[in-house]
Amino acid sequence: MELKLYVDRLSQPSRAILIFCKANGIEFEEVKILIGKMQHRSPEFAEINPMKQLPAIVHGDFKLFESHAILIYLASAFSGVADHWYPTDIYKRAKVHSVLDWHHSNLRRGSVGYLFNTRIALAFGLPLDPKASAEGEKLLSASLAMIESYWLEKDEPFLLGNSQPSIADLALVCEIMQLEVADEEDRDRILGPHKRIMKWIDDTKNATAPYFDEIHSMLPLAKEKLKELKVQASKQ
Amino acid sequence: MELKLYVDRMSQPSRAILIFCKANGIEFEEVKILLAKRQHHSPEFAEVNPMKQVPAIVHGDFKLFESHAILIYLASAFPGVADHWYPADVRKRAKIHSVLDWHHSNLRRGAVGYIFNDSIAIALGLPLNPKAAAEGEKLLSASLAMIESYWLEGHGPFLLGNSEPSIADLSLVCEIMQLEVADENDRDRILGPHKRILKWIEDTKNATSPYFEEIHSIMSPVKEKLKELKVQASQQSA
Repeated sequence: MELKLYVDRLSQPSRAILIFCKANGIEFEEVKILIGKMQHRSPEFAEINPMKQLPAIVHGDFKLFESHAILIYLASAFSGVADHWYPTDIYKRAKVHSVLDWHHSNLRRGSVGYLFNTRIALAFGLPLDPKASAEGEKLLSASLAMIESYWLEKDEPFLLGNSQPSIADLALVCEIMQLEVADEEDRDRILGPHKRIMKWIDDTKNATAPYFDEIHSMLPLAKEKLKELKVQASKQ
Repeated sequence: MELKLYVDRMSQPSRAILIFCKANGIEFEEVKILLAKRQHHSPEFAEVNPMKQVPAIVHGDFKLFESHAILIYLASAFPGVADHWYPADVRKRAKIHSVLDWHHSNLRRGAVGYIFNDSIAIALGLPLNPKAAAEGEKLLSASLAMIESYWLEGHGPFLLGNSEPSIADLSLVCEIMQLEVADENDRDRILGPHKRILKWIEDTKNATSPYFEEIHSIMSPVKEKLKELKVQASQQSA
Protein backbone atom coordinates (compact mmCIF):
# COMPACT_ATOMS: atom_id res chain seq x y z
CA MET A 1 0.00 0.00 0.00
CA GLU A 2 1.47 3.28 -1.17
CA LEU A 3 2.16 6.07 1.32
CA LYS A 4 2.31 9.68 0.14
CA LEU A 5 3.37 12.53 2.41
CA TYR A 6 2.16 15.97 1.36
CA VAL A 7 4.72 18.23 3.01
CA ASP A 8 6.76 21.41 2.93
CA ARG A 9 10.08 21.16 4.79
CA LEU A 10 9.51 24.74 5.93
CA SER A 11 6.55 23.42 7.97
CA GLN A 12 7.52 22.19 11.43
CA PRO A 13 4.98 19.36 11.64
CA SER A 14 5.90 18.29 8.07
CA ARG A 15 9.49 17.82 9.21
CA ALA A 16 8.39 15.75 12.20
CA ILE A 17 6.61 13.20 10.04
CA LEU A 18 9.39 13.08 7.43
CA ILE A 19 12.01 12.37 10.10
CA PHE A 20 9.72 9.82 11.78
CA CYS A 21 9.25 7.85 8.56
CA LYS A 22 12.94 7.91 7.62
CA ALA A 23 14.09 6.97 11.11
CA ASN A 24 11.69 4.01 11.08
CA GLY A 25 12.44 2.81 7.57
CA ILE A 26 8.90 3.55 6.38
CA GLU A 27 8.84 3.95 2.59
CA PHE A 28 6.97 6.90 1.20
CA GLU A 29 6.71 9.34 -1.66
CA GLU A 30 7.37 12.95 -0.65
CA VAL A 31 4.94 15.23 -2.49
CA LYS A 32 6.17 18.79 -2.06
CA ILE A 33 3.45 21.35 -1.52
CA LEU A 34 5.28 24.67 -1.36
CA ILE A 35 3.55 27.14 0.94
CA GLY A 36 5.70 30.01 -0.36
CA LYS A 37 4.23 29.39 -3.81
CA MET A 38 0.68 29.09 -2.40
CA GLN A 39 0.44 25.49 -3.60
CA HIS A 40 -1.53 24.58 -0.48
CA ARG A 41 -4.38 26.65 -1.92
CA SER A 42 -4.69 24.65 -5.14
CA PRO A 43 -7.97 22.83 -5.87
CA GLU A 44 -5.98 19.60 -6.27
CA PHE A 45 -4.56 19.83 -2.78
CA ALA A 46 -7.99 20.72 -1.36
CA GLU A 47 -9.03 17.22 -2.49
CA ILE A 48 -6.32 15.82 -0.22
CA ASN A 49 -6.95 18.20 2.70
CA PRO A 50 -9.95 20.56 2.68
CA MET A 51 -8.27 22.51 5.52
CA LYS A 52 -5.54 23.45 2.98
CA GLN A 53 -2.79 22.78 5.51
CA LEU A 54 0.32 20.68 5.78
CA PRO A 55 1.14 17.99 6.48
CA ALA A 56 -1.39 15.53 5.08
CA ILE A 57 -0.99 11.92 4.05
CA VAL A 58 -2.64 9.42 1.74
CA HIS A 59 -2.07 5.75 2.57
CA GLY A 60 -3.72 3.57 -0.05
CA ASP A 61 -7.16 5.19 -0.14
CA PHE A 62 -6.95 6.58 3.41
CA LYS A 63 -6.52 10.34 3.79
CA LEU A 64 -5.44 11.98 7.04
CA PHE A 65 -4.37 15.41 8.28
CA GLU A 66 -3.20 16.93 11.62
CA SER A 67 0.39 15.92 12.35
CA HIS A 68 -0.22 14.34 15.78
CA ALA A 69 -2.97 12.13 14.33
CA ILE A 70 -0.60 11.26 11.45
CA LEU A 71 2.32 10.38 13.76
CA ILE A 72 0.05 8.16 15.89
CA TYR A 73 -1.40 6.48 12.79
CA LEU A 74 2.03 5.78 11.27
CA ALA A 75 3.35 4.42 14.59
CA SER A 76 0.32 2.11 14.80
CA ALA A 77 -0.06 1.05 11.16
CA PHE A 78 3.57 0.05 10.49
CA SER A 79 4.70 -3.00 12.41
CA GLY A 80 8.43 -2.19 12.42
CA VAL A 81 8.06 0.89 14.63
CA ALA A 82 9.71 0.47 18.07
CA ASP A 83 7.42 0.83 21.09
CA HIS A 84 9.14 3.92 22.54
CA TRP A 85 7.79 6.10 19.73
CA TYR A 86 4.16 5.53 20.82
CA PRO A 87 4.02 3.11 23.78
CA THR A 88 1.26 0.53 24.02
CA ASP A 89 1.19 0.97 27.82
CA ILE A 90 -1.91 3.14 28.38
CA TYR A 91 -0.30 5.23 31.13
CA LYS A 92 2.80 6.08 29.10
CA ARG A 93 0.62 6.65 26.05
CA ALA A 94 -1.68 8.99 27.99
CA LYS A 95 1.31 11.15 28.93
CA VAL A 96 2.35 11.37 25.28
CA HIS A 97 -1.18 12.53 24.41
CA SER A 98 -1.05 15.03 27.27
CA VAL A 99 2.13 16.79 26.08
CA LEU A 100 0.98 16.71 22.43
CA ASP A 101 -2.29 18.38 23.47
CA TRP A 102 -0.47 20.95 25.62
CA HIS A 103 1.76 21.74 22.64
CA HIS A 104 -1.09 23.14 20.46
CA SER A 105 -1.96 26.09 22.73
CA ASN A 106 1.46 26.65 24.22
CA LEU A 107 4.72 25.97 22.40
CA ARG A 108 3.15 25.91 18.94
CA ARG A 109 0.92 28.91 19.47
CA GLY A 110 3.76 30.96 20.97
CA SER A 111 6.36 29.95 18.42
CA VAL A 112 4.11 30.51 15.40
CA GLY A 113 2.86 33.81 16.87
CA TYR A 114 6.42 35.04 17.33
CA LEU A 115 7.98 33.85 14.07
CA PHE A 116 5.07 34.67 11.78
CA ASN A 117 4.81 38.23 13.02
CA THR A 118 8.56 38.80 13.20
CA ARG A 119 9.61 37.30 9.92
CA ILE A 120 7.49 34.77 8.05
CA ALA A 121 4.54 37.09 7.21
CA LEU A 122 6.85 38.81 4.68
CA ALA A 123 7.05 35.65 2.60
CA PHE A 124 3.29 36.01 2.07
CA GLY A 125 3.42 39.71 1.30
CA LEU A 126 1.86 40.49 4.68
CA PRO A 127 3.06 43.16 7.14
CA LEU A 128 4.95 42.30 10.32
CA ASP A 129 3.11 42.88 13.60
CA PRO A 130 5.40 43.80 16.51
CA LYS A 131 2.62 43.60 19.10
CA ALA A 132 1.55 40.11 18.08
CA SER A 133 5.22 39.16 17.87
CA ALA A 134 5.82 40.26 21.47
CA GLU A 135 2.76 38.32 22.67
CA GLY A 136 4.00 35.26 20.80
CA GLU A 137 7.46 35.56 22.32
CA LYS A 138 5.99 35.79 25.82
CA LEU A 139 4.03 32.55 25.35
CA LEU A 140 6.98 30.89 23.63
CA SER A 141 9.34 31.71 26.49
CA ALA A 142 6.82 30.57 29.09
CA SER A 143 6.41 27.31 27.15
CA LEU A 144 10.16 26.69 26.95
CA ALA A 145 10.39 27.29 30.71
CA MET A 146 7.53 24.80 31.29
CA ILE A 147 9.23 22.19 29.15
CA GLU A 148 12.41 22.56 31.18
CA SER A 149 10.74 22.58 34.56
CA TYR A 150 8.03 19.97 33.99
CA TRP A 151 8.03 18.02 30.75
CA LEU A 152 11.77 17.23 30.76
CA GLU A 153 13.08 15.41 33.80
CA LYS A 154 16.60 15.83 35.13
CA ASP A 155 18.04 12.37 34.68
CA GLU A 156 16.52 11.21 31.40
CA PRO A 157 17.13 12.76 27.98
CA PHE A 158 13.61 12.88 26.53
CA LEU A 159 10.18 14.26 27.40
CA LEU A 160 8.24 12.62 30.23
CA GLY A 161 11.41 11.14 31.73
CA ASN A 162 11.81 8.73 28.83
CA SER A 163 15.17 7.22 27.95
CA GLN A 164 14.22 7.02 24.26
CA PRO A 165 12.34 9.50 22.06
CA SER A 166 8.61 9.43 21.41
CA ILE A 167 6.59 11.16 18.68
CA ALA A 168 6.17 14.02 21.17
CA ASP A 169 9.92 14.74 21.17
CA LEU A 170 9.90 14.95 17.37
CA ALA A 171 6.83 17.20 17.24
CA LEU A 172 8.08 19.67 19.85
CA VAL A 173 11.75 19.75 18.81
CA CYS A 174 10.83 20.39 15.15
CA GLU A 175 8.73 23.31 16.36
CA ILE A 176 11.65 24.83 18.25
CA MET A 177 13.99 24.30 15.26
CA GLN A 178 11.86 26.86 13.39
CA LEU A 179 13.73 29.52 15.37
CA GLU A 180 16.61 28.84 12.98
CA VAL A 181 14.90 31.21 10.52
CA ALA A 182 15.04 34.12 12.96
CA ASP A 183 17.98 36.50 13.49
CA GLU A 184 20.78 34.89 15.53
CA GLU A 185 20.41 37.54 18.24
CA ASP A 186 16.70 36.86 18.62
CA ARG A 187 17.24 33.12 18.62
CA ASP A 188 19.99 33.44 21.25
CA ARG A 189 17.87 35.72 23.39
CA ILE A 190 14.96 33.30 23.38
CA LEU A 191 16.76 29.93 23.45
CA GLY A 192 20.08 30.87 25.08
CA PRO A 193 18.85 30.69 28.70
CA HIS A 194 17.53 27.18 28.14
CA LYS A 195 20.53 24.86 28.25
CA ARG A 196 18.38 21.84 29.10
CA ILE A 197 16.30 22.45 25.97
CA MET A 198 19.40 22.68 23.81
CA LYS A 199 20.67 19.37 25.16
CA TRP A 200 17.29 17.78 24.44
CA ILE A 201 17.35 19.07 20.85
CA ASP A 202 20.80 17.55 20.46
CA ASP A 203 19.71 14.21 21.93
CA THR A 204 16.71 14.10 19.59
CA LYS A 205 18.93 14.93 16.64
CA ASN A 206 21.38 12.16 17.54
CA ALA A 207 18.57 9.63 18.06
CA THR A 208 17.33 10.29 14.50
CA ALA A 209 20.67 10.94 12.77
CA PRO A 210 21.32 11.51 9.91
CA TYR A 211 17.71 12.27 8.97
CA PHE A 212 17.17 15.12 11.43
CA ASP A 213 19.96 17.22 9.94
CA GLU A 214 19.03 16.26 6.40
CA ILE A 215 15.40 17.34 6.80
CA HIS A 216 16.44 20.59 8.52
CA SER A 217 19.14 21.45 5.97
CA MET A 218 16.95 23.97 4.13
CA LEU A 219 16.45 26.26 7.12
CA PRO A 220 19.61 28.42 6.70
CA LEU A 221 18.57 29.15 3.11
CA ALA A 222 15.04 30.08 4.23
CA LYS A 223 16.58 32.36 6.86
CA GLU A 224 18.69 34.23 4.28
CA LYS A 225 15.70 34.60 2.00
CA LEU A 226 13.55 36.03 4.80
CA LYS A 227 16.38 38.40 5.82
CA GLU A 228 16.43 39.74 2.25
CA LEU A 229 12.69 40.25 2.26
CA LYS A 230 12.97 42.18 5.54
CA VAL A 231 15.65 44.48 4.11
CA GLN A 232 13.52 45.10 1.03
CA ALA A 233 10.46 45.79 3.13
CA SER A 234 12.25 48.34 5.33
CA LYS A 235 13.59 50.13 2.26
CA GLN A 236 10.00 50.56 1.07
CA MET B 1 -8.66 1.94 42.17
CA GLU B 2 -10.14 5.28 43.07
CA LEU B 3 -10.83 7.83 40.30
CA LYS B 4 -11.02 11.52 41.14
CA LEU B 5 -12.11 14.13 38.59
CA TYR B 6 -10.93 17.66 39.34
CA VAL B 7 -13.50 19.72 37.48
CA ASP B 8 -15.56 22.86 37.25
CA ARG B 9 -18.88 22.44 35.45
CA MET B 10 -18.28 25.89 33.98
CA SER B 11 -15.36 24.38 32.04
CA GLN B 12 -16.36 22.85 28.73
CA PRO B 13 -13.78 20.03 28.78
CA SER B 14 -14.68 19.29 32.43
CA ARG B 15 -18.27 18.68 31.36
CA ALA B 16 -17.16 16.36 28.56
CA ILE B 17 -15.34 14.04 30.95
CA LEU B 18 -18.12 14.13 33.57
CA ILE B 19 -20.75 13.15 30.97
CA PHE B 20 -18.44 10.48 29.54
CA CYS B 21 -17.95 8.82 32.92
CA LYS B 22 -21.64 8.94 33.87
CA ALA B 23 -22.79 7.67 30.47
CA ASN B 24 -20.36 4.74 30.77
CA GLY B 25 -21.09 3.87 34.39
CA ILE B 26 -17.55 4.77 35.50
CA GLU B 27 -17.49 5.52 39.22
CA PHE B 28 -15.65 8.61 40.35
CA GLU B 29 -15.42 11.31 42.97
CA GLU B 30 -16.10 14.81 41.61
CA VAL B 31 -13.68 17.27 43.22
CA LYS B 32 -14.93 20.76 42.44
CA ILE B 33 -12.21 23.28 41.60
CA LEU B 34 -14.12 26.55 41.20
CA LEU B 35 -12.43 28.85 38.69
CA ALA B 36 -14.47 31.89 39.75
CA LYS B 37 -13.09 31.45 43.27
CA ARG B 38 -9.54 31.04 41.87
CA GLN B 39 -9.28 27.56 43.40
CA HIS B 40 -7.24 26.45 40.38
CA HIS B 41 -4.45 28.67 41.69
CA SER B 42 -4.18 26.93 45.05
CA PRO B 43 -0.89 25.19 45.94
CA GLU B 44 -2.87 21.98 46.61
CA PHE B 45 -4.27 21.91 43.10
CA ALA B 46 -0.84 22.69 41.62
CA GLU B 47 0.21 19.32 43.08
CA VAL B 48 -2.47 17.69 40.94
CA ASN B 49 -1.87 19.81 37.83
CA PRO B 50 1.11 22.20 37.64
CA MET B 51 -0.56 23.86 34.62
CA LYS B 52 -3.30 25.03 37.06
CA GLN B 53 -6.07 24.08 34.66
CA VAL B 54 -9.17 21.93 34.76
CA PRO B 55 -9.97 19.19 34.09
CA ALA B 56 -7.37 16.92 35.67
CA ILE B 57 -7.75 13.39 37.01
CA VAL B 58 -6.07 11.18 39.57
CA HIS B 59 -6.60 7.42 39.10
CA GLY B 60 -4.94 5.53 41.94
CA ASP B 61 -1.54 7.24 41.87
CA PHE B 62 -1.71 8.20 38.18
CA LYS B 63 -2.20 11.90 37.44
CA LEU B 64 -3.29 13.22 34.05
CA PHE B 65 -4.40 16.51 32.50
CA GLU B 66 -5.57 17.70 29.04
CA SER B 67 -9.15 16.59 28.39
CA HIS B 68 -8.51 14.72 25.13
CA ALA B 69 -5.75 12.67 26.78
CA ILE B 70 -8.13 12.04 29.72
CA LEU B 71 -11.03 10.93 27.51
CA ILE B 72 -8.76 8.55 25.58
CA TYR B 73 -7.27 7.18 28.82
CA LEU B 74 -10.69 6.57 30.40
CA ALA B 75 -12.01 4.91 27.23
CA SER B 76 -8.96 2.61 27.24
CA ALA B 77 -8.62 1.90 30.97
CA PHE B 78 -12.23 0.90 31.71
CA PRO B 79 -13.30 -2.33 29.98
CA GLY B 80 -17.04 -1.56 29.97
CA VAL B 81 -16.70 1.34 27.52
CA ALA B 82 -18.34 0.58 24.15
CA ASP B 83 -16.04 0.68 21.10
CA HIS B 84 -17.81 3.60 19.38
CA TRP B 85 -16.48 6.05 21.97
CA TYR B 86 -12.85 5.41 20.91
CA PRO B 87 -12.70 2.70 18.23
CA ALA B 88 -9.97 0.10 18.28
CA ASP B 89 -9.75 0.29 14.46
CA VAL B 90 -6.58 2.25 13.67
CA ARG B 91 -8.15 4.26 10.84
CA LYS B 92 -11.36 5.19 12.66
CA ARG B 93 -9.26 6.13 15.66
CA ALA B 94 -6.98 8.30 13.49
CA LYS B 95 -9.97 10.33 12.30
CA ILE B 96 -11.00 10.97 15.89
CA HIS B 97 -7.48 12.18 16.69
CA SER B 98 -7.67 14.39 13.62
CA VAL B 99 -10.88 16.20 14.65
CA LEU B 100 -9.76 16.47 18.29
CA ASP B 101 -6.49 18.08 17.11
CA TRP B 102 -8.34 20.41 14.72
CA HIS B 103 -10.58 21.44 17.62
CA HIS B 104 -7.74 23.07 19.65
CA SER B 105 -6.91 25.80 17.13
CA ASN B 106 -10.33 26.20 15.59
CA LEU B 107 -13.59 25.63 17.46
CA ARG B 108 -12.03 25.89 20.93
CA ARG B 109 -9.85 28.87 20.16
CA GLY B 110 -12.74 30.71 18.48
CA ALA B 111 -15.36 29.84 21.09
CA VAL B 112 -13.13 30.72 24.05
CA GLY B 113 -11.94 33.91 22.31
CA TYR B 114 -15.51 35.02 21.77
CA ILE B 115 -17.21 33.98 25.02
CA PHE B 116 -14.35 34.91 27.35
CA ASN B 117 -13.94 38.40 25.93
CA ASP B 118 -17.67 38.97 25.55
CA SER B 119 -18.89 37.64 28.92
CA ILE B 120 -16.84 35.37 31.14
CA ALA B 121 -13.88 37.67 31.80
CA ILE B 122 -16.14 39.68 34.11
CA ALA B 123 -16.63 36.71 36.45
CA LEU B 124 -12.87 36.58 36.89
CA GLY B 125 -12.64 40.32 37.58
CA LEU B 126 -11.14 41.07 34.14
CA PRO B 127 -12.32 43.65 31.58
CA LEU B 128 -14.28 42.64 28.49
CA ASN B 129 -12.50 43.06 25.15
CA PRO B 130 -14.83 43.66 22.19
CA LYS B 131 -12.04 43.51 19.60
CA ALA B 132 -10.80 40.11 20.80
CA ALA B 133 -14.44 38.95 21.04
CA ALA B 134 -15.02 39.89 17.40
CA GLU B 135 -11.90 37.99 16.30
CA GLY B 136 -13.04 35.01 18.33
CA GLU B 137 -16.50 35.13 16.79
CA LYS B 138 -15.03 35.12 13.30
CA LEU B 139 -13.01 31.96 13.99
CA LEU B 140 -15.95 30.39 15.84
CA SER B 141 -18.29 30.94 12.91
CA ALA B 142 -15.75 29.62 10.42
CA SER B 143 -15.31 26.53 12.63
CA LEU B 144 -19.05 25.90 12.89
CA ALA B 145 -19.27 26.14 9.09
CA MET B 146 -16.39 23.67 8.72
CA ILE B 147 -18.06 21.21 11.11
CA GLU B 148 -21.25 21.34 9.04
CA SER B 149 -19.59 21.09 5.65
CA TYR B 150 -16.86 18.57 6.49
CA TRP B 151 -16.79 16.91 9.89
CA LEU B 152 -20.52 16.07 9.96
CA GLU B 153 -20.49 14.71 6.42
CA GLY B 154 -21.58 11.12 6.05
CA HIS B 155 -24.41 8.75 6.76
CA GLY B 156 -24.62 8.94 10.53
CA PRO B 157 -25.75 11.69 12.89
CA PHE B 158 -22.35 12.11 14.55
CA LEU B 159 -18.92 13.45 13.59
CA LEU B 160 -17.02 11.58 10.88
CA GLY B 161 -20.25 10.01 9.59
CA ASN B 162 -20.52 7.81 12.65
CA SER B 163 -23.84 6.29 13.69
CA GLU B 164 -22.89 6.47 17.38
CA PRO B 165 -21.07 9.17 19.33
CA SER B 166 -17.33 9.21 20.00
CA ILE B 167 -15.31 11.18 22.54
CA ALA B 168 -14.93 13.81 19.80
CA ASP B 169 -18.68 14.49 19.72
CA LEU B 170 -18.72 15.03 23.50
CA SER B 171 -15.69 17.29 23.42
CA LEU B 172 -16.88 19.55 20.59
CA VAL B 173 -20.55 19.70 21.62
CA CYS B 174 -19.66 20.68 25.20
CA GLU B 175 -17.58 23.49 23.73
CA ILE B 176 -20.53 24.81 21.71
CA MET B 177 -22.82 24.52 24.74
CA GLN B 178 -20.75 27.28 26.37
CA LEU B 179 -22.71 29.69 24.16
CA GLU B 180 -25.61 29.12 26.57
CA VAL B 181 -24.02 31.71 28.89
CA ALA B 182 -24.06 34.40 26.20
CA ASP B 183 -26.96 36.72 25.43
CA GLU B 184 -29.80 34.92 23.55
CA ASN B 185 -29.50 37.37 20.65
CA ASP B 186 -25.79 36.67 20.28
CA ARG B 187 -26.28 32.92 20.60
CA ASP B 188 -29.01 32.99 17.95
CA ARG B 189 -26.91 35.13 15.63
CA ILE B 190 -23.97 32.73 15.86
CA LEU B 191 -25.74 29.36 16.08
CA GLY B 192 -29.05 30.07 14.36
CA PRO B 193 -27.77 29.63 10.78
CA HIS B 194 -26.41 26.18 11.62
CA LYS B 195 -29.40 23.81 11.69
CA ARG B 196 -27.20 20.75 11.17
CA ILE B 197 -25.15 21.70 14.25
CA LEU B 198 -28.32 22.15 16.31
CA LYS B 199 -29.49 18.67 15.30
CA TRP B 200 -26.10 17.19 16.18
CA ILE B 201 -26.16 18.79 19.64
CA GLU B 202 -29.65 17.31 20.15
CA ASP B 203 -28.49 13.83 19.02
CA THR B 204 -25.48 13.97 21.35
CA LYS B 205 -27.71 15.04 24.23
CA ASN B 206 -30.14 12.18 23.57
CA ALA B 207 -27.31 9.65 23.32
CA THR B 208 -26.05 10.63 26.79
CA SER B 209 -29.35 11.40 28.45
CA PRO B 210 -30.04 12.24 31.27
CA TYR B 211 -26.44 13.10 32.15
CA PHE B 212 -25.93 15.71 29.41
CA GLU B 213 -28.80 17.86 30.71
CA GLU B 214 -27.82 17.27 34.34
CA ILE B 215 -24.22 18.37 33.82
CA HIS B 216 -25.33 21.38 31.74
CA SER B 217 -27.98 22.54 34.24
CA ILE B 218 -25.42 25.01 35.61
CA MET B 219 -25.48 27.12 32.43
CA SER B 220 -28.73 29.07 33.05
CA PRO B 221 -27.86 30.36 36.55
CA VAL B 222 -24.38 31.31 35.31
CA LYS B 223 -25.87 33.21 32.39
CA GLU B 224 -28.10 35.21 34.74
CA LYS B 225 -25.14 35.95 37.01
CA LEU B 226 -23.00 37.17 34.09
CA LYS B 227 -25.88 39.36 32.89
CA GLU B 228 -26.02 40.99 36.35
CA LEU B 229 -22.24 41.50 36.44
CA LYS B 230 -22.36 43.09 32.99
CA VAL B 231 -25.10 45.50 34.09
CA GLN B 232 -23.14 46.40 37.25
CA ALA B 233 -19.96 46.94 35.24
CA SER B 234 -21.69 49.32 32.81
CA GLN B 235 -23.28 51.21 35.72
CA GLN B 236 -19.83 51.72 37.24
CA SER B 237 -18.33 53.07 34.06
CA ALA B 238 -21.34 55.37 33.42
